[in-house]
Amino acid sequence: MTIKIHARLKSRKVMILCSIIIGMLILITLLAPWLAPHDPTLVNLAHKLKPPSWEYPLGTDHLGRCTLSRLLYAARMSLGYATLIFISALTIGLVVGTLSGYKGGWVDQLLMRICDGIMAFPSLLLVLGLVGIFGHGLKQVILALIFVQWVYYARIIRGMVLSLREQTYIAAARISGSSQWTIIRKHIIPNVLPPLAVMGALEMGWAIMDISAMSFLGLGVQPPTPEWGAMIHEGKSYIRSHPELMIYPGLMIMLVVVTFNLFGEALSERYGVKRNS
Amino acid sequence: MAVQRKRNRKTFIGLFAAVLMLSAFLAGCTNNTAETTASDPESKSMLTFAWPRDIGEMNPHIYNPSQLFAQSMVYEPLVGYEDGGELKGYLAESWEISENGKEYLFNLRQNVKFSDGSDFNAEIVKRNFDTVLQNAQLHSWLGFISKVEQTEAVDEYKFKLTLKEPYYPTIQELAVVRPTRILGAAGFPEGDDTSKGVAKPVGTGPWVLEEHKVDEYAVFARNEHYWGELPEVERIKVKVIPDAETRVLAFEKGDLDLIYGEGVINIDTFKQLESTGSYETKISEPVATRLLVMNSKKEQLSDERVRQALHYGFNKQAMVEGVTSGLEAVADQILSTNFPYTSDIDAAAVEYNVDKAKELLDEAGWKLPEGKAVREKDGKPLEIELMYNSTETIQKMMAETLQSEYAVIGVKLNIVGVELTTQVERFKANEFDLNFFSNYGAPYDPHTFINIVATEGFGFREAISAYPNKDELLEMIAKVPQTTDEGERQELYSSILESLQEQGAIVPVSYIKKIAIYQKDVADFKFPANRDAHPFTGISLNK
Repeated sequence: MTIKIHARLKSRKVMILCSIIIGMLILITLLAPWLAPHDPTLVNLAHKLKPPSWEYPLGTDHLGRCTLSRLLYAARMSLGYATLIFISALTIGLVVGTLSGYKGGWVDQLLMRICDGIMAFPSLLLVLGLVGIFGHGLKQVILALIFVQWVYYARIIRGMVLSLREQTYIAAARISGSSQWTIIRKHIIPNVLPPLAVMGALEMGWAIMDISAMSFLGLGVQPPTPEWGAMIHEGKSYIRSHPELMIYPGLMIMLVVVTFNLFGEALSERYGVKRNS
Repeated sequence: MAVQRKRNRKTFIGLFAAVLMLSAFLAGCTNNTAETTASDPESKSMLTFAWPRDIGEMNPHIYNPSQLFAQSMVYEPLVGYEDGGELKGYLAESWEISENGKEYLFNLRQNVKFSDGSDFNAEIVKRNFDTVLQNAQLHSWLGFISKVEQTEAVDEYKFKLTLKEPYYPTIQELAVVRPTRILGAAGFPEGDDTSKGVAKPVGTGPWVLEEHKVDEYAVFARNEHYWGELPEVERIKVKVIPDAETRVLAFEKGDLDLIYGEGVINIDTFKQLESTGSYETKISEPVATRLLVMNSKKEQLSDERVRQALHYGFNKQAMVEGVTSGLEAVADQILSTNFPYTSDIDAAAVEYNVDKAKELLDEAGWKLPEGKAVREKDGKPLEIELMYNSTETIQKMMAETLQSEYAVIGVKLNIVGVELTTQVERFKANEFDLNFFSNYGAPYDPHTFINIVATEGFGFREAISAYPNKDELLEMIAKVPQTTDEGERQELYSSILESLQEQGAIVPVSYIKKIAIYQKDVADFKFPANRDAHPFTGISLNK
């Protein structure tokens, strides 16, 4: 009993801490233009690779751009697009999963075999392949990531819908003459969403990692737009003389991903949402 | 997904641990071998060098993946290219060119032996040329190949080349590393078709391939039969190290004696190693010019004033200095003056002048609307795209700098990083506004560069299509190779290069240079005059 309470409190603390960090990140994202001391793409070769100073709190990069400003603007990119990926993938997954779970039969068979097909490939490989076919660029990477992500949501939602469908209140609704559409809208989706929100916190971390990984490989965000993965890539050549060019964005990625993961874990513990449902 | 990811993570950790253990084990092995070679008494006169790729097949008549520097170690040309464009006899002691510029008679060097001890003579030279000519299609980029009418071994040490029409750069083109260097008789496969491979890498060069482990290393021993001055170093080991940072680490550890090449290590790393004072460093003469090519076929760029504005609008000095840390020099001419026929060019250098750039754009009708940052004409914004090779750091940094600088004069520059193959393809297909390009360097220029400018389908000819004197230019370019008079040729080159530059479609940016960094016990290092040749001539070690 005491152990349980202790764990509860710990998870509560973690949750509060994570919420604060996430809140701050969202603030940074919204206020980047006002917080950043400089234009993140303004090149000034006379000031390249400068150490930290009052003018450039974190120094400058190889083109004399303000590192702090780039980090702040990069938060915009990463968080914004991670959210976009999450919401788009979730929407597609919700539609497909609900349809598949509720309808059953050949619809279910067809949709699930498509999911199987996509899931048969390691997701990173598939993303790389798609980007290779459709060309470099942020748009392609985002679409590719959505394309590989939605199947997972569809799978989970289908599972949840299958078990919900057998619930007595659904049967009651059906008997009382509600249409299929009403049942899905009023009874199924509201019950599916809360656990998904929890899962979303976990998925944000992955999405941010994936975007950064693609940018690191030079496939995602194109210069001069600041992005953490791309910044690490650019700093790579200076690892010996100016390792901080890689360390700052690396730390940011770590902070964000760890925060989202801990937050997701804490949420799922608290609300009893099992990740492996 | 969650279950799968959890399981994935477990397998991943397991896999990671396995890889870590394996790599630790392998690292242990390599260390051991390194130690044994280091304690080997022979290594006292062995120079260790690193190259990003495997040397490839040692065949003088083929291209990639064979590495030029390695081919030049084993095989020699009839004529060599020396500093300032001087042509020196190698396997040919001297040569005579007939009045009409069609017949070339080479007096071959006597007492030259191949590395297997066999004799060098006119017969083997003819056999080499005939083999190469059989695959003329493959080598048509080299101007004189398609103009050869006949090859003939006049006597034992006299070889004659007859052309269909006069082509002055023939001698200079013979100095290239491939495909006209000479292979020994033992190297010819059955049927003599060397494009499919050679039987044995036998050449007359100062080095012989002794040992080759693909993708690991190659060892060259000096050729004891060499006709010229015998190299002081007995062996050269070429280690394959693809990653630049790893090369630097190996060099600092003392595993490498020399790092040499173009862009082989990061410039700032080079500067940093130089500043430690523990190593010797050298920077070469310009090997080529980095050019910014503007496509005058595009509507916005067809106006010379816009092109000039883009030239005035960036601080070349600051950009080259900043991006290359002073390694490359600001270029004011399309071809640097250490190439033949380039010393007498009278094209004015363009100074950085933002006001002038703005003025020119205003004149051209591109006005800055109130409250906007980008100029417009007839409601269309002045948006231009610059294509660069995404794997080349210098191009990328210059692109970002230009974007930032052009924003000041009200030009929106969109920069697009592409792979080298795409860059070349799009350049050829004329699907670009601005592009980075460079000339070919010694011993190819200046004739190869102007030839490319005039040839359809390489990008340049289309890029200069808005020049009012385009036809005249093309005519002059066509005339150059057929000239037999030195003075006339010089005059043609001067007016072609001046005209190309003055109209602003080809903007010289910087002179590309090679770097070399070596341990203090390496002496007499010299950059080769030929951009592609090996740098080991005369090198010595005082270990």
